[in-house]
Amino acid sequence: MCPRGAGVRSGTQGQAQGVDIDHQEADWVSIHERICQLLIPIHTSLPFFSSEKERKHGMEQLLNRQKYIIDVAQSTAQKFILEGEPGKAIPAGLQALRFSIRVYGACSVDVVPAYLLLAEACMDAGCLMQATTYLSQAQWLILKTPACSLAVQLKLHRDLGLLYAAKGDLEQSLYHLANDIYLASCAFGPDAVQAAEGYFHMAKIFLRQNKTDVANSLFAEVTAIWHAFLLKSVQTQEQILKTQPTRLFLSGAAEAQQTEAIQALNTILDFREKAPKQQPDGTAKVLHSLAMLYYLNGDLSKAREMGAKALDLMKQLPQQESLEAVDHLLNLINSKPCYGK
Amino acid sequence: SIVSLKPLPPFSTGELQRSLLENCFSISTYLVRWRTECRLKGLKSPFLIPSCRNSYKKNICIDMLRQGYHKSFSELFTLIQKWNALREAAGPGSAIWQQESLEEQPDKLDQLYHFLTRAEAAQRAGNYEEVYNNQLNLAYCFNDSEDKWLRNYFYEQCFNTAQLIKIDGGKKEAQAHANMGLISEEQGDIMKAVEHYEAFYELTLGSTWTDETGRTYNSLACEHLWKTYTVLADKMLEDKQYQQVIKTLKKALKMAKEGGDMKMEGEAAYCLGLAYHFAGEEQAAIPVRKVAETVTHLEEFVKVAENAHLSRSLVDACILLGNLCNERGHYNEAFEYFSRAFEAANTLSSLPLVDETKTYYGIARAHKMMVAVNSHTEAADLVSMRYLLAWKESRSDVCADPLTAGEALVMKHISRLKEESSFNQFCSPSCEGHSQCLQ
Repeated sequence: MCPRGAGVRSGTQGQAQGVDIDHQEADWVSIHERICQLLIPIHTSLPFFSSEKERKHGMEQLLNRQKYIIDVAQSTAQKFILEGEPGKAIPAGLQALRFSIRVYGACSVDVVPAYLLLAEACMDAGCLMQATTYLSQAQWLILKTPACSLAVQLKLHRDLGLLYAAKGDLEQSLYHLANDIYLASCAFGPDAVQAAEGYFHMAKIFLRQNKTDVANSLFAEVTAIWHAFLLKSVQTQEQILKTQPTRLFLSGAAEAQQTEAIQALNTILDFREKAPKQQPDGTAKVLHSLAMLYYLNGDLSKAREMGAKALDLMKQLPQQESLEAVDHLLNLINSKPCYGK
Repeated sequence: SIVSLKPLPPFSTGELQRSLLENCFSISTYLVRWRTECRLKGLKSPFLIPSCRNSYKKNICIDMLRQGYHKSFSELFTLIQKWNALREAAGPGSAIWQQESLEEQPDKLDQLYHFLTRAEAAQRAGNYEEVYNNQLNLAYCFNDSEDKWLRNYFYEQCFNTAQLIKIDGGKKEAQAHANMGLISEEQGDIMKAVEHYEAFYELTLGSTWTDETGRTYNSLACEHLWKTYTVLADKMLEDKQYQQVIKTLKKALKMAKEGGDMKMEGEAAYCLGLAYHFAGEEQAAIPVRKVAETVTHLEEFVKVAENAHLSRSLVDACILLGNLCNERGHYNEAFEYFSRAFEAANTLSSLPLVDETKTYYGIARAHKMMVAVNSHTEAADLVSMRYLLAWKESRSDVCADPLTAGEALVMKHISRLKEESSFNQFCSPSCEGHSQCLQ
């Protein structure tokens, strides 16, 4: 049985929620189940070490165990957020935060990722005040650390942008998303997929402000960036498969990025299909990109569907440059036996 | 704009200079911050990181982005990256290494911000003429020698945009071609320049477009083409591709004629004649009826060359004119030209050239004398025979009086023996040239 003493505590407020049965159950399903066994060696007191070397080794081991727990908690929280279950993500996030503070100290910038995850989960769950608190903590820590990595900074700005968008303060949101894109460009280049994510969120804000032409331009940019990236990925994939035919599908982007990309591209497709003035070349590009993305993800049926649609549209266009790329992709899809995901 | 500070007095002490510099620095930092605050005023929030913490470049970029000008941002960002890459490639010690980075020049960043955002707004609205105008303004902004690559970049952008403008009948496209031609010329890429100028010519054929001075685009096109064809021909001449040279110079002449400038035409005609001369095709060169025209143009050119002290060109032109007159039998005129060539050649320090002109001079003089000699030969009477004999023996101009010629003979014989051993005086015709012609 898991020791009750190791129940959930919310990171900064220190309220013991272990008493509430609902919370305990959520906690168990979310994260406790996974880390229960891992907690035991941490909570038992350290054995007596007779030499300095052994003490050091013992401390290192403890640290590694705690870091491992942080990793597990964070990835679990991330997974629940992606699957759209923020309620389950929050307890996991709290554990991650708790152990981050324990390992790195409350004033360290390494605690920021945990704060950001929690903020995202709270936003998805609708607890905007809570999210605000977490983000202000994160921002304070980043401000105190000028040498903080760009990747963390840009994530903060993105979350702030999304927070303000949720609150309805669109100008603030745009300001923070602009920061996000700028930092992404500095870190990864102005044509990187990280910048594309920022552009996508910005486009949605402009849509809310009824600035459709700006949104249209931004959507086109997002599509262009993903299209170029996916084309390269497919080509690399082909090269790899030639030498190692049994290798599973892999993509250059992390899983979270892929899921977001699929959502983003589907949103753009929707926008284009419903637009009063049709732009067939723009729509075709989105379809092509989606086809490639599904193919790289292993979802071959969807890939085939998108690819066929793209091909149909492209045949009606005067310039048929991308036609052979789509053709080639469809051949790849049809030649591949299903490896599944 | 930033307050410009007075220059330091020339003999200020080191300390004074240093404190002044510090003040300057703090004033300019304050002003930069003030500018950025002004730009971002209206945004009040607990989350707003103070803009004075950001660089000017960052503030401008963020400003562009939050207003939706993402293409302007992308372009600006890429240009700054390019500048930095150029600097890295050039390495320390190069001129660009000493320069201030583009991202640290607020005025230039301001200009880029202003025009790029307007161009993007126009592009979204489909107003390509406006896009072109803004890009052209940016090209003008960076006309300085240190920002030539930026200027050329924007001229290229103008060119790309101009292809999309159809409603003005191709005027902007023509302008863009002309600008690209100028840039290609500057960079030494003559083939590319020719391509652009030819397109410029095609687009302006039959149009009434004029520039600010009232000159038609088409005549400008003709002038540019004439110039570039001539330069191209020059290069081909170095490779001795005479056929190509002649073909190209013919095109140049055609352009010069269409351009309507007599001076251009004259020069073009001269170059073409020169080309034929080098190719050794003097006979097949210019059709007879054109010779008079060519001569007129060449004479005009000779005047120009004399005024401009273009001695070498003057020599060449005079030789060519002399040859032309020679062929047509106008020996007196030919003689005049060759003597002018000879005089001009003496001002240059090239002995081979002097010798060459001396030869021509001699030939011409001989030809001139031929008329008199032929007439005496045909007359075939005693007086004429005496003239001829005296002349053959004295080897000087045909004398009027055969009696004095006999006396002069003896004196001449003695002095000739003395002269033969010394250097040939340049005032007398060469003996070899003389005798060759008469045989």
